[in-house]
Amino acid sequence: MSEEKFLQVSNIHKSYGSGDGLQKVLKGTDFSVAKGEFCVLLGPSGSGKSTLLNIIGGIDSADDGYIAINGDKLKDMDEKALTIYRRKHLGYVFQLYNLIPNLTVKENIEVGAYLSDNPHDIDDLLKTLGLYEHRHKLPNQLSGGQQQRTSIGRAIVKNPDILLCDEPTGALDYNTSKDILKLIEEVNQKYGNTVIMVTHNEAIQHMADHTIKLRDGQVRKNIVNDNKVSATELDW
Amino acid sequence: MRNPLNKRILREIKSEWKKYVALFLLLTLTIGFVSGMFVANDSMETAAYEAYDKYNIEDGHFELKDKPTDELLEDFEDEDIKIYEQYYKDFDEDFNADGETDAKIRVFKVREDIDRACLMEGEMPEKENEIAIDRMHADNSKISVGDTISIGDYEMKVTALVAFSDYSTLYEDNSDIMFDALTFDVGAVTPEGYDALNAREVYQYAFQYNDEPEDEEEQKEKSDILSEQLAVLSLTGGMLDDTDEAEKFSDEVEADKEFLEEMSSKADELKQRGEELEKKTASMSPEEQMASMAELQKEADDIQKEADELKKQEDKINETADRLKELEKYEEHINELTDFVPEYANRAIHFAVEDFGSDKAMGEEILIILIIVIAFIFAITASNTIVRESAVIGTLRASGYKKGELLIHYVSVPVFVTFMSALIGNILGYTYFKNVVVDMYYNSYSLPTYVTLWNADAFVKTTIYPVLIMIVVNILVVNRKLKLSPLKFLRHDLSKSNKKKAMKLPRWKFLTRFRLRIFFQNMVGYVTLFLGIFFVMILLAFSVGMPATLDNYQENASSYIVADYQYVLKGTEDSDGNEITTKEKTAEKYSINSLKTVDGVHVGEEITVFGYMDDSRYFEISEDLEKDEVYITKAYADKFNIKEGQSITLKDMYKSKKYKLKVEGIYDLPGTLGIMLPNDRFNKMFNMEAGSFTGYLSEKEIKDIDEDMIYSVMTVDDALKIVNQLNHSMGGYMKYFSAMCMIIALIIILLLTKIIIESSAVSISMVKVLGYSNREINSLYVRITTTVVILSSVITAFASELVVAKIWANIMYRMNGWFEFYIGIEEIIRIILMVIVTYVLVAILDIRRIKRIPMTEALKNIE
Repeated sequence: MSEEKFLQVSNIHKSYGSGDGLQKVLKGTDFSVAKGEFCVLLGPSGSGKSTLLNIIGGIDSADDGYIAINGDKLKDMDEKALTIYRRKHLGYVFQLYNLIPNLTVKENIEVGAYLSDNPHDIDDLLKTLGLYEHRHKLPNQLSGGQQQRTSIGRAIVKNPDILLCDEPTGALDYNTSKDILKLIEEVNQKYGNTVIMVTHNEAIQHMADHTIKLRDGQVRKNIVNDNKVSATELDW
Repeated sequence: MRNPLNKRILREIKSEWKKYVALFLLLTLTIGFVSGMFVANDSMETAAYEAYDKYNIEDGHFELKDKPTDELLEDFEDEDIKIYEQYYKDFDEDFNADGETDAKIRVFKVREDIDRACLMEGEMPEKENEIAIDRMHADNSKISVGDTISIGDYEMKVTALVAFSDYSTLYEDNSDIMFDALTFDVGAVTPEGYDALNAREVYQYAFQYNDEPEDEEEQKEKSDILSEQLAVLSLTGGMLDDTDEAEKFSDEVEADKEFLEEMSSKADELKQRGEELEKKTASMSPEEQMASMAELQKEADDIQKEADELKKQEDKINETADRLKELEKYEEHINELTDFVPEYANRAIHFAVEDFGSDKAMGEEILIILIIVIAFIFAITASNTIVRESAVIGTLRASGYKKGELLIHYVSVPVFVTFMSALIGNILGYTYFKNVVVDMYYNSYSLPTYVTLWNADAFVKTTIYPVLIMIVVNILVVNRKLKLSPLKFLRHDLSKSNKKKAMKLPRWKFLTRFRLRIFFQNMVGYVTLFLGIFFVMILLAFSVGMPATLDNYQENASSYIVADYQYVLKGTEDSDGNEITTKEKTAEKYSINSLKTVDGVHVGEEITVFGYMDDSRYFEISEDLEKDEVYITKAYADKFNIKEGQSITLKDMYKSKKYKLKVEGIYDLPGTLGIMLPNDRFNKMFNMEAGSFTGYLSEKEIKDIDEDMIYSVMTVDDALKIVNQLNHSMGGYMKYFSAMCMIIALIIILLLTKIIIESSAVSISMVKVLGYSNREINSLYVRITTTVVILSSVITAFASELVVAKIWANIMYRMNGWFEFYIGIEEIIRIILMVIVTYVLVAILDIRRIKRIPMTEALKNIE
């Protein structure tokens, strides 16, 4: 699948700071992801995986190299074009959910739907997410898992080409984490979105089509997983 | 699909309802009042302008010293005007039958042709003992239709309350500093009733131009010419209407008179010499006659020669005598123009309408300043919300939300609240506040009935302007905040620059430095707090300074006028030709006249000219003034910003003659616009005989001058009229105004300190976790705010004094006369304390708020 090169990450360099404080976070990262693929970016803290995800998401920029989606290079896009790019193609899921506190579950999902000309049916999605009966609740009335489901709903309701997940289970317990992973897996299978998930949990690589292992800002391993397992079968 | 973020607007308002209700009420009430003011003022203004046609208001009026002859009036009308008789008589009025004079009433016949009255209640008088009086005076004096009032020695039944179209503002005299709605009344009676009233009659005529002037400029030009024509016609008995011609003619007549006098005395002298010669000759013996024959003959020849010379002048003498005889036919028409007031300068007609305009402008300015302050409060609130929701904003931006969409979202709440306030404020303006404003004006002005009119200007200024100001201020502030990248929002890193370093502070104590950090962190909030306090201070300075100014004037009124009693006599000789004198020891002769300004802040302002005697006890001017040098009063210098050494130009009241004078010094007389010069110079300046004077100044009442000889007397009570009227018009409202200012101060300070504490909630929570006590936390967060409030109060209190003095000067520029705005240190301290006391309430609430911040705040997620 990776040969189709839906998403191409080419020789990405990124540093923060200057002079003595210069910190090279990414040092020529190269890989590509095929359309519909479930790709995991794996690595320890400080390996540059979140930075890479942000650059793919167009909310951070590379010092060198480029990201291309279907051949369109992000570095050629101005701020306005990047916003349109994110609006049309991307869905974001964060570790800390970032839901709007005074909107209900359904309304938080509508916030995502608003961005699309062709969003998924919200009620169907709520059912898929297992949140239908909680749709009128505010975020502070939900558990962490339910909040993360809501944030996934918000990300996928607009039917994005790519779903970017930054440590989506980082703040959750084991069982809830597995539920969320299962949900993302289902979403990937049902809607065919390309999923790029940043995690430091090595077990998650087993449910991915493709794993990129990062260390010190470089790709140490680029593994295509021919024997992936279901999220329910994961254990750590 | 509608933006789902819009659903947050009402919830945001609901979650912070106390804050938004306070802002909503502040905005709604202010907008309501200003809208009511616009609607009321414009409706009444329209009614006032319609009254020009409806009640046929004059183009001007004039007064004559004596009753004019018909021929003189015809000569007046030849100047392309139509004149209408409107004589009046002034009486003392006693409306509560206690035998005391309560007011002065000016009684006209009911006028049918010109300056008609608007009937407000009752029926116009039909019987001799019936009277219609001014509606506002009746309200203020609790006189109703059917009541009986005493005017002079007469009992009159009030049958109607009316608004006199030429007395919408009750100015007794157009040169009065202030109108008098309390002790001045106007009435109208039947012609029979008028004739039955016995008092000195004032010969006033209204006039209208046959050829209506097109604009005010033309009206001014025409009235300047007309006043001069009428003055000259009066003085020449209708013979001439041009000053230059009249002066030339006057010189010729003087020359003629001198010539005749010279001839007459010459004839007398010759006659006397002839008689003496005859007597001398008769007393001589024949021998003596013979001896002196040659001498006597020479004297006789000389007399004869001179008589022949005189005889030669006979034709010229006869001609001159005839010419002077010719003048006799004008003599019976000679009169004097004592007053001329064109309509545009008639404050009794115009003041109320001008007041509508200036009050509207002031209301509009206050509204705009308040909206700007509130807009900043909203903007700071939005900024803090953005900080609190930075992760959500980062997520939305990362998901593809445009900056503009979020900008609109965060600006929506203030715009929505402002729009709702404007909507409800306007409804209240049209229904409730309009009546409040109308009542306020009807309390001071005697206005005709009006119809409430839809006011597009009010809508624009009280709806569109506030909403636009709210949009602009919030967009400027919020847009700046939203400029950051999505990543910065996600990381809660809302600093503008990566390179920004902590400000270096002196090596002060840790807690002091901590407080300074809090100050710099909340700089925008504190600057808005300063501006808000400044705004409130200006209002407070006005509300406290106004009564203080009036009290100050009242206390010092006697030092604001030349003397406690200022008499102007009708003439300075009694019927036997003896000079009118008095035994009152404090009495001193003086002269008085009036000129008017031709430039400066108020053209046409009346300036009193005083002529003082040598070693005067009332004018302490020891300096010898050279030709053209004068002293001017402090009031004149202050109002027209005139300095010593400067030249001033004044103009005759009714003629074109101008006087250029040099200011030698400024005399400390703060309540009178005037100039002073020695009496002998005064007499020369106004072509009066040497030694002339016009009246007496006295510390005590003069009782030994026949009242019939007194033209007018000005006392301290007259000087206090302005104070009493201002107290009546505005004084009563000032306490409410002060209370309202304190409420505004409370809301502004409360909201801003709330915002500051909320934005510091995590830090406060964190220091609690670290073990700081509430007292220590208060000493950090409340003390810095207290310091800012106290410093702001002190600085802005003094600054507001300057601002209000400027506003006051602008008010006085529109009026005749001048007195300074006074706000003493006591009042400054009072307004500072008013804000600080208000703040104490806020501080108590802030301490409670800080106490309630949980320690978990620092540890929990951003949601």
